[in-house]
Amino acid sequence: MAEKKILTKDFGAPGLAHLAGYEQTGGYQAYQKALKELQPDALVEMVKKSGLRGRGGAGFGTGQKWSFLPKGVYPRYLVINADESEPGCFKDRYLLEASPHQVVEGLLIAAFAIGCNLAFIYIRGEYLPQHEALEWALAEARQAGYIGKNVLGSGFDVDVILHRGAGAYICGEETALLTSLEGYRGEPRLKPPFPAIKGLYGKPTVVNNVETVATLPHIVSNGPDWFATIGTETGKGTRLWCMSGHVNRPGNYEMEMGAPIRELIYDLGGGVWKNRKLKAFQPGGASMMVLLPQHLDVGLDFDAIQKAGSLAGAGAMVVMDETTCMVDMCRRYVEFFHHESCGKCTPCREGTFWMTNVLTRIEEGEGKAGDADLLLEMGNNIDGRSFCPLGDASTWFPRSCIKYFRDEFEQHVTEHACPFRKERVMVA
Amino acid sequence: MAVATDQVTLQVDGVSVTVPKGTLILDAAKKLGIDIPIFCSHPKMEPVAVCRMCLIEVEKMPKLQPACAIPVAEGMVVRTLTDKVKQYQQGVLEFLLINHPLDCPICDKGGECPLQDQTFQYGPGASRYDFQKAHFDKAVPLSDKIVLDRERCILCWRCTRFTEEISGERELALIKRGVHTIIGTFNDEPAQSVYQGNWTEICPVGALTSRQYRFISRPWDLDRTPSVCPGCAMGCNIQIDSRHNKIGRFQSRENLEVDDGWLCDQGRYSFPYFQRDQEFGSPSIRRDGQLAAVSYPEAVAEAAARLQRAGSSAAGWASPGATNEELFLFQRLFRETLKSPHLDHRQQGIHETDPEDIGLPIADIERCDHVVVLGGQEVIDAAPVLHLRLHKSQRHGVAVHRVDEVKAGLAAVPAEATVVGVLATAARRADAITLQNQLVSKVKGSVRRLIVVRGPNGRGAKDLGILPHLGPGYAVLNGRAGRPRAEWPKAGIRALYIYDASPLQEFGATEAELDWLRSLDTVIVQRFKPSVLDEYAHVVLPGRAFPEKDGTMTSMEGRVQRIATGIDAAHVWDDWRILQAVANAMGAGWPYRTSESIFADLAKAVPAYAAAAPAQGRVLWGER
Ligand SMILES: Cc1cc2nc3c(=O)[nH]c(=O)nc-3n(C[C@H](O)[C@H](O)[C@H](O)COP(=O)(O)O)c2cc1C
Ligand code: SF4
Ligand code: SF4
Repeated sequence: MAEKKILTKDFGAPGLAHLAGYEQTGGYQAYQKALKELQPDALVEMVKKSGLRGRGGAGFGTGQKWSFLPKGVYPRYLVINADESEPGCFKDRYLLEASPHQVVEGLLIAAFAIGCNLAFIYIRGEYLPQHEALEWALAEARQAGYIGKNVLGSGFDVDVILHRGAGAYICGEETALLTSLEGYRGEPRLKPPFPAIKGLYGKPTVVNNVETVATLPHIVSNGPDWFATIGTETGKGTRLWCMSGHVNRPGNYEMEMGAPIRELIYDLGGGVWKNRKLKAFQPGGASMMVLLPQHLDVGLDFDAIQKAGSLAGAGAMVVMDETTCMVDMCRRYVEFFHHESCGKCTPCREGTFWMTNVLTRIEEGEGKAGDADLLLEMGNNIDGRSFCPLGDASTWFPRSCIKYFRDEFEQHVTEHACPFRKERVMVA
Repeated sequence: MAVATDQVTLQVDGVSVTVPKGTLILDAAKKLGIDIPIFCSHPKMEPVAVCRMCLIEVEKMPKLQPACAIPVAEGMVVRTLTDKVKQYQQGVLEFLLINHPLDCPICDKGGECPLQDQTFQYGPGASRYDFQKAHFDKAVPLSDKIVLDRERCILCWRCTRFTEEISGERELALIKRGVHTIIGTFNDEPAQSVYQGNWTEICPVGALTSRQYRFISRPWDLDRTPSVCPGCAMGCNIQIDSRHNKIGRFQSRENLEVDDGWLCDQGRYSFPYFQRDQEFGSPSIRRDGQLAAVSYPEAVAEAAARLQRAGSSAAGWASPGATNEELFLFQRLFRETLKSPHLDHRQQGIHETDPEDIGLPIADIERCDHVVVLGGQEVIDAAPVLHLRLHKSQRHGVAVHRVDEVKAGLAAVPAEATVVGVLATAARRADAITLQNQLVSKVKGSVRRLIVVRGPNGRGAKDLGILPHLGPGYAVLNGRAGRPRAEWPKAGIRALYIYDASPLQEFGATEAELDWLRSLDTVIVQRFKPSVLDEYAHVVLPGRAFPEKDGTMTSMEGRVQRIATGIDAAHVWDDWRILQAVANAMGAGWPYRTSESIFADLAKAVPAYAAAAPAQGRVLWGER
């Protein structure tokens, strides 16, 4: 089986990162069509009908999100979330590098659809080349008259501000992103009010992921019905999967929604490296629950993965071979969340710190009987009790690992050592 | 079908309660007497839901919900006592304590610490945390007033939100992130705010403490006395916390109409001025150029004899820090006993006054649509807590114009304005009236003014006629007016009685006045602590500090408030008693045994005070 390429269809075409090359592949036709032939409301309906769900993590219906904007309240803002910091995720980076204009065109379509005259792109601070690519693309689009006053005589005014983040994972969370964009400490805000009601500078705001908007030109060009034929009942279109870990061919793969995970790991990724056995894999990124070889036939789709006990999240696929120490994986991930916790709320701030301590001690062979249960209880006091999903999600991977690999935790404790130490390989 | 109202009915722990729409679950529960534990939530600040202590169950919501941030909804079913909630409460307290130093035995807050109390009530018996705690700096000086212990801080954001929402100064901020987050000032520069003491009161742990109060007392050893701040005319309510008959600290005592629960540092940290940290000498009489200790009766007799000799050429100055009862007797001593009209309580300036100066009650600032602060910072400096009211009003949409000139004030208020306030100090009273009159012709609505007078009882001093030209109740003294203080050196005055009631509102003699004092036949000084005036005095009459006496004070908005005795100084005569003894030595025959009995006569002489006293309300001059 092969990839189903929509967003990446023209990747590799000469000069795609620049306006001329992009236009050669039909670029900005969708934007022009939207401006000339479609009313904003019709566009919102079109996206609703297409069934497109956000690619940033939560998988919320994009058209539905747009329609939450209160009628008649202006200005309203569109913010593109290019903060991509979930460990294991590198799809937005790929989209921005290879075809920045596709993202810009999607952004402009979204801005037109929701009646936004000033859009923002919040890009991860470390994404320097991608930032540069976007800067170029925005300058070219401005020059070509796609951005500016009265775009192509349509009466639509739009401008775009590109903003670099300063290196905090939490700033990918939409409300923390808005707070950071306003110049404050990156910390999530209380919801409700949701950004659609009270977002950037207190105005109605839509936050959309890079990949989400990059899909829009294709929906506009080919129609929502076409889009809705691709994928599953509840997951339409394709997604980029960022595969990493113990796999022969890591990288980005654009897959139709619902394609079996097996296809991604084995057919496209060439299977587990070094002829080792597959131990586990993790869809969605560092936050998400681990899955086992028995789940290989689960479809790459929001609902199917959720049913299997994990979440599709931001489309990462971390492959772990038989030599992987699950305790060490947990330690590494939880340490990440501990490091990235913004410190706003007690359960996440203190809990990730404590969990890191416990996991480190188990991994170092100093664990105590009952440590696995302590982790579960702590997880219980963090998950669903934290201020934002960062805290909640810090518990998901370790708790799923204890569920499937409890004996590995016990073994660390009883043997006073990590059974995998000798053969350990760096993951992720 | 239920009728749409702005009331919402919900159930908390099986009991039904009806509250206004928009009420938070926390407050709805409180109405039923159900306490939901909190740390970050504060009734005067926007909810932030960061500490996560108040999570409770709401039917149909899968996750526990923060009661401090979720508004009620019709038919909501809230449960605060389920096993799920209780288990979680233990969990979150366990989290809060893993990096807390647990140094309660040496912490000022111990005994009045929400963290300590709630751990006791809702916490786990023991911690399962067996690692090194994260360590932070202790005893970090935030300013000359405040010390911060970063290990005790539970990052509730109350202090940072105070500086943002209440004072608007944004002086405290969160620095770093995650478990390393700390509270601090920009670049570690000393905090400048004059509202810092409030941080220590709202901090739910012993992280922010007052230098003045560090290690002074345990809360349960304190005696608490309700009183009124001696700092300025604002009239903020305080509690005098004392131990072993020494003042330990002043705490706020919320009066929503006046201070809204806050104090400024000038007032809060003024208590050393009123501390009887040593004996301040007995009554004395100047003999052969030296002050010689005598008994009260001897000193009183000497003072009376000297005053009687001066008769109507005696002048009297009383501090606007004295009580109404004392001031009432003081003016009777002069007007009735000595038949002298030369009374004053003012320093250099001669500011006219009338009851319209209290036209705008403090709390009504919030109900204005435009407020002009004529003189800007000058007004705030004169009554610092006023700024907090102005900032609050501004946050709620009141347009506050800080201007220096009348012209600018007039320009700032649009003609459509409906409720307008003008604030100014006594020094700018004339300008304030000019502005008020001009605004009255310009705007559609009403215009009222509030004049910030000097001294905690500056208003009372005016109301009771400690003025050369107006008697009690602003009675006009046709042809019988005396001379103001500024003119005394040239008015043939032979004796001067200075009642220097408060070290914060002293006589404050100029160089020229000191020369004049030296030339007088008689100078009588009644005061709390030894002062420079003792050197000029023929008779020194030691009195009490405000925490040592009772009586009433009238704030700048005309609110008559009671002070009570918190410190026992029985060996020192009450100031009203000294005044009465001096008058009686001249045959006045006053019968007072308590300050209440003086007030009864005062209220007869100034009927506007009769209504104000029992209710601790404002003096209303309307029926004059
Ligand atoms: C801790 C955290 C980090 C997140 N990081 C990102 C991110 O880097 N990029 C992103 O698009 N969405 C991220 N999200 C999801 C956003 O909050 C938001 O749901 C998304 O940007 C919405 O876009 P979409 O509707 O197009 O998916 C994050 C969420 C959380 C809780
Ligand atoms: S869960 Fe709490 S501490 Fe963690 S990132 Fe979110 S708000 Fe910050
Ligand atoms: S210092 Fe006190 S008030 Fe400030 S955040 Fe810490 S615990 Fe809260």
